[in-house]
Amino acid sequence: MTDDRTIIQEEGDKLVAAEYVLGVLGAAERRQAQQRLAHDQAFADEVAFWEERLGSFADAVAPVAPPERAWTRIARAVKMRDPATARESLWQSLIFWRSFAIGAAALAAASIGALTFIEISPAARAPMLATLGASNGQPTFVAAVNAGGTGLLVVPAALLTSDPRAMELWLIPAGDKPHSLGLIEPGRPVRLDVPRELAGRLTADAALAVSMEPPGGSPTGQPTGPIVASGKLTSL
Amino acid sequence: MGVEDNRSQLVAALARVAGGDRAALQIVYQDTSAKLFGVCLRILNDRSEAEDVLQEVYLTVWRKAASFDPARASPITWLVAIARNRSIDRLRAAVGGRRMDPIDAAEEVRDPAPAAVELIEAAQQSSRLGLCLEQLESRQSIAIRAAFLDGNTYEELAERMKVPLGTMKSWIRRGLLKLRDCLER
Repeated sequence: MTDDRTIIQEEGDKLVAAEYVLGVLGAAERRQAQQRLAHDQAFADEVAFWEERLGSFADAVAPVAPPERAWTRIARAVKMRDPATARESLWQSLIFWRSFAIGAAALAAASIGALTFIEISPAARAPMLATLGASNGQPTFVAAVNAGGTGLLVVPAALLTSDPRAMELWLIPAGDKPHSLGLIEPGRPVRLDVPRELAGRLTADAALAVSMEPPGGSPTGQPTGPIVASGKLTSL
Repeated sequence: MGVEDNRSQLVAALARVAGGDRAALQIVYQDTSAKLFGVCLRILNDRSEAEDVLQEVYLTVWRKAASFDPARASPITWLVAIARNRSIDRLRAAVGGRRMDPIDAAEEVRDPAPAAVELIEAAQQSSRLGLCLEQLESRQSIAIRAAFLDGNTYEELAERMKVPLGTMKSWIRRGLLKLRDCLER
């Protein structure tokens, strides 16, 4: 058997992730590990590995019902209120969903982009938002329409695919056929101008959809490939 | 309801929480708070501390639900990890010693009997871990299990099992290396 010290030196670094998850590190080492998590992806992957694998230890822990007041406190802390606060929750969805896949820098840029893009001012018409989800319910894009209804910002919420086909965004007004709004990308936010003939048609009863198309977009003016995401527009 | 249904419901609820849906947070809470409170209580050994930490846990879920990746982790594992991390952070921040029961390696670690339904779930979820643990020396697996469930440091484990610190580190590190090989397969 190898000397312990040799093993510890060689494997020590690799083991830190496991030790962190197991919880055996003292306060200072634990803080170091937590700081490392934020910027060291290999380390974060290793931690995720152990969390998933060791997690089933917790199966042995008997559930204990917390007192009623525990939920009351949590609800108060997240400001649980009536649906009038839906406006705020939509804002959160824009920010949260975007963070699914894109990196921190891109995220910060996109947030600033989306916020300045929508140009909230009391006098303007309400801006609109749509969360485009795939059939499995996973949100894949968030689209924000500016207050004037003249432009959109489409932000990927999840990295979808390495599919070489183009993604085309469609406006589907209630009771009408799809109208192309242009091509979007799964990897970065794209800003689109609303074609003049569609001005005023991005309303709360319309839907947005994304289809897979040949490079350059649909040759027919109508979706030719599968719809991979769709969602209704909602007024903020 | 099957384990898979439970899981996909929880995934869906977390996706809604990520979108700022408070009602979905309540669903997640109803489904998981007893489990997570049990986890916190086991580590902190104090009801009022555990209650505090439980609140922090769900506020963390509220803020970080978007970082949950169902392709990478099961929802309950993700939640348990938050509950353990918050509890252990709280322990490490506390000054002064904590009450610890000694572990006699000849005996099983204290363990309330899980309900039947849990045993079935556990049999599915932990079979791989259980299998791999069997390949370790019993004192290694006892130490690793106690560390996970009770949130002990190396020092505390050494004290509880009455062995020198170096010995405890060596048991656990060797055990973890062996576990990793086995769990990867």
